[in-house]
Amino acid sequence: MENKEYDVVIVGSGIAGSIVAKMLTQAGKQVLLLDAGLEAGMAFDEEGAYKNYQDYMKSYFMAQAKVPNAPYPNVKDAQSPNVLDMTQINGKPDTKGYFVQEGKLPFASDYARAAGGTTLHWLGTCLRMLPNDFKMHSKYGQAVDWPIDYEYLKPYYEMAEREIGVSCDVSEQKYPNMGNNFFGKDYVFPMLKIPQSYIDKSFIEGMEGLKVSLNGDVYTPWCTSTPQGRNSTPNKKYRYANTAWNAAKQKLELQPFAKESDEYVPVGAIWDPYSGQRCEGNASCVPICPVQAKYNALKTLKSAKKEHLTLLSQAVATEIHIDTGNGNITGVSYKQYPHADSKDYKSGTAKGKIYVLAANAIENAKILLASGACKTSGQVGCNLMDHTVLLTWGLMKDKVFPFRGPGSTTNIPTFRDGDFRKKHAAWISPIDNWGWGWPTGSPDTDLDHAVSTLNLFGKELRTYIGDTLSRQLLLHFECEQLPLKTNRVTIDDKYRDNIGNYRPVIKYDVDDYSLKAFKAAKSVSDQIFAGMGVQDFTNYPSDEPDYVDGFVFRGAGHVVGTHCMGTTKQNSVVNSQQQAWDHQNLYLVGAGNMATLGTSNPTLTLAALSFAAAENILKALK
Amino acid sequence: MEANTLISGVRHRLIRSGEPSLKEFNSITTIEGLREHLQVAIELEHSTIPPYLYALYSIRDRTNDASSRVIKGVVMEEMLHMILACNILNAIGGKPDISSPKFIPEYPTYLPHSNEAFKVNLEKFSRPAIETFLKIEKPGGRDAPPQSDRYASIGQFYEAIVDGLKRLSAKGNIFTGDRSLQIRPEQFYGGGGGLIEVYDLATAEEAISEIVGQGEGIDDTIEDSNHKLFGEEVEYAHYFRFNEIYKEQYYKPTDTPKSGPTGEKFPVDWTQVHNIKENIKMKDFKKGTEEWDMMYQFNKRYCDMLQMLHLTTNGKREKLKDAVLMMYELKYLAQGLMNVPMGNGLYAAPSFEYVE
Repeated sequence: MENKEYDVVIVGSGIAGSIVAKMLTQAGKQVLLLDAGLEAGMAFDEEGAYKNYQDYMKSYFMAQAKVPNAPYPNVKDAQSPNVLDMTQINGKPDTKGYFVQEGKLPFASDYARAAGGTTLHWLGTCLRMLPNDFKMHSKYGQAVDWPIDYEYLKPYYEMAEREIGVSCDVSEQKYPNMGNNFFGKDYVFPMLKIPQSYIDKSFIEGMEGLKVSLNGDVYTPWCTSTPQGRNSTPNKKYRYANTAWNAAKQKLELQPFAKESDEYVPVGAIWDPYSGQRCEGNASCVPICPVQAKYNALKTLKSAKKEHLTLLSQAVATEIHIDTGNGNITGVSYKQYPHADSKDYKSGTAKGKIYVLAANAIENAKILLASGACKTSGQVGCNLMDHTVLLTWGLMKDKVFPFRGPGSTTNIPTFRDGDFRKKHAAWISPIDNWGWGWPTGSPDTDLDHAVSTLNLFGKELRTYIGDTLSRQLLLHFECEQLPLKTNRVTIDDKYRDNIGNYRPVIKYDVDDYSLKAFKAAKSVSDQIFAGMGVQDFTNYPSDEPDYVDGFVFRGAGHVVGTHCMGTTKQNSVVNSQQQAWDHQNLYLVGAGNMATLGTSNPTLTLAALSFAAAENILKALK
Repeated sequence: MEANTLISGVRHRLIRSGEPSLKEFNSITTIEGLREHLQVAIELEHSTIPPYLYALYSIRDRTNDASSRVIKGVVMEEMLHMILACNILNAIGGKPDISSPKFIPEYPTYLPHSNEAFKVNLEKFSRPAIETFLKIEKPGGRDAPPQSDRYASIGQFYEAIVDGLKRLSAKGNIFTGDRSLQIRPEQFYGGGGGLIEVYDLATAEEAISEIVGQGEGIDDTIEDSNHKLFGEEVEYAHYFRFNEIYKEQYYKPTDTPKSGPTGEKFPVDWTQVHNIKENIKMKDFKKGTEEWDMMYQFNKRYCDMLQMLHLTTNGKREKLKDAVLMMYELKYLAQGLMNVPMGNGLYAAPSFEYVE
């Protein structure tokens, strides 16, 4: 291990690291993958994988608050942030959790430092970015343009959709300004769409023909079914078997099935391929899918070529070493802890021809800062972005029976793009299947309220609960954030973790571009509620962590920016190849590369980018 | 099937053992006879499900994880086998009958058409129960001749069916069934294996290989010859999975059926079990009581579910999802029953009886 030089050393086993590992090993390269999480999470044998996942399930059942990280071990030696630690910041840094939050506002999203990364608790929404999302500056005079465009990313989106296993009906996908060849003529997704919920159907009926005015323009909003990374019925028309490296063409390509009779087979659980072949509507996607019908990165890692892959777990990458002569990376130092929460650790250095950081946008930034790497642009750690989520909720006229199915199966794409982006953020509006769970803690809080405040019991209690819970509607307005130099991750000697690694120090706020969008989104919500006869219960208490200007927003769990891609070594950390400008043999992957956020959940885009990065690395390795 | 290494790399169909020697016997000679035997096959596959479920339900929640997984895995494979048998019967122009009053055996029972060497009880998870399961799944061994009736092992019975299929196919096309009757992966998934659409001799044989291979292993060896790693990518046949519970020890890759398991300890806690009455019947309760009513509710749901499967395999294949929803309900109804005390420290359980 110490003396072996690998072709590539990868840090992180989330979706980005796993895709790169899979593509490289399948192309015959020797890969070492370091992961900060526990050894148990890396079990791929049937018994071990099952046992470990059941442990996650137990923690989930026992947890008081079923937050995204509730099921997963929080190891002191590789701490994960937790949304429960996020509170208002009053004058001095909040150091309660893993993040050191300097404010003004707390950064409200977390991620999982465990094998499989944050895909363990992601929701699974798989939307591609829109063409204009890559051209924010030239189109709307905001932020920057990417050095690549939608057309560049399109083939990699297809690879990502296969890898994740996206269920979607392509004919229903209608987005603003998508152009007439967004998916390509005959494109289909691997699986048929996840059925839309009953609440979706009621909502779609209610919205029929409804007019909404925004900034003086009139819109007729529409709904579309949401593409999701969870298993459903295979689409017979889907004809791709896998993604493979074509050495002659120096390209990654989707390979067609060998035989006419071959069909796409949903990828089930890592302990049993026949478990989780369809979404079963367990409705706990966040924080954990009990049957692994929802994609997670362990599925990708498990299908890497074992003979070429060395996994090293409980190994926290701390620093990369730079050859001062040519700027090349010469090794990754890591601290390997023997068991969870141990104070002691073993130090080691991993060596490869090429290095890939895939540890999450915040963790990548931390490692780069700790190493004094990628300094030219001064942008490392800057431009931290998230979707700021404005929630609005109310009671529908009729019973619509929420609390069934995956988190969200339908969205309103109408405001994902438009001229208003010159003034304020765009947003996407998912319709939620989980009642008021997110803003108010339904259904438990409803019961509490009915019993202790309304003094109901017996039949009245049943009637009340049956009536109110069944009518709960929740909308999200997930607003894009612009890349701001002031929203940043730094490190500070004062703040270190259990084994002496830096903790992320975060400065975070929202600007006018977001605030205007909150106002606009709320007015759209008001018009929809009024038009559909929804009784509005939305309120934004001033003691919520992210209370600002009369609104409360929440984090979407979308940790983006921090080592953005750009056109010059002065304005960005990586080039269009996802290679660090300052270090030829260093590639950064993950949502950290994204120059702007757009209105898509970032996982699909970062997965597509990871395929592109894997191709670039294979080219560089020759 | 190169599509998903995750699947193709993990499960391997085991290969059937006995190749019948055609000189020895000639028992299935008409298409009617063949259809009758496939109907028996469906009944046979079904007859093992209530005893397995009985034991599975009786395990206390969140205990005996390893044993639960084994029994659950096996019971799901029996369901797959039942549907595979329906597919074969439909392919040769027969009509599966899943809803007649006689479809559910009366427990304790001999396996349908077996040599009546042992009876199968409905009993809680226990050593004797696992002993019975071992008898059900016992490999016949290389030299066991095919038997179409009074068989000693399920493998023998299926070999006789394969022999009949081949024999009749040689005389002309017997695969005259309407393909729209075949249950396909669109309807059946997540159930212990890959479903096979049957439309000719090769696919019928493939379906039987799946059934016999999953149940009984191969040539008295416990693993597919392509693999050497234990615990990864090898699927043990039912007999050997039950034997790990019985012996409270895992097999090692170097083990043979003869040596028995010599690996690590397989954790079993025989005490973490609901003490449910053996071979319970509705008549153990007074008609009109709440307990009787609960028994009736379960049995009614079970019969409704069989009725739904009957529709599924007789042209309405989209009904399978309704049957699956009922299966989920059965578990909750069974759990309710296991909380009903009957005196002497015994508790009620579902009786799996036919009701109108």
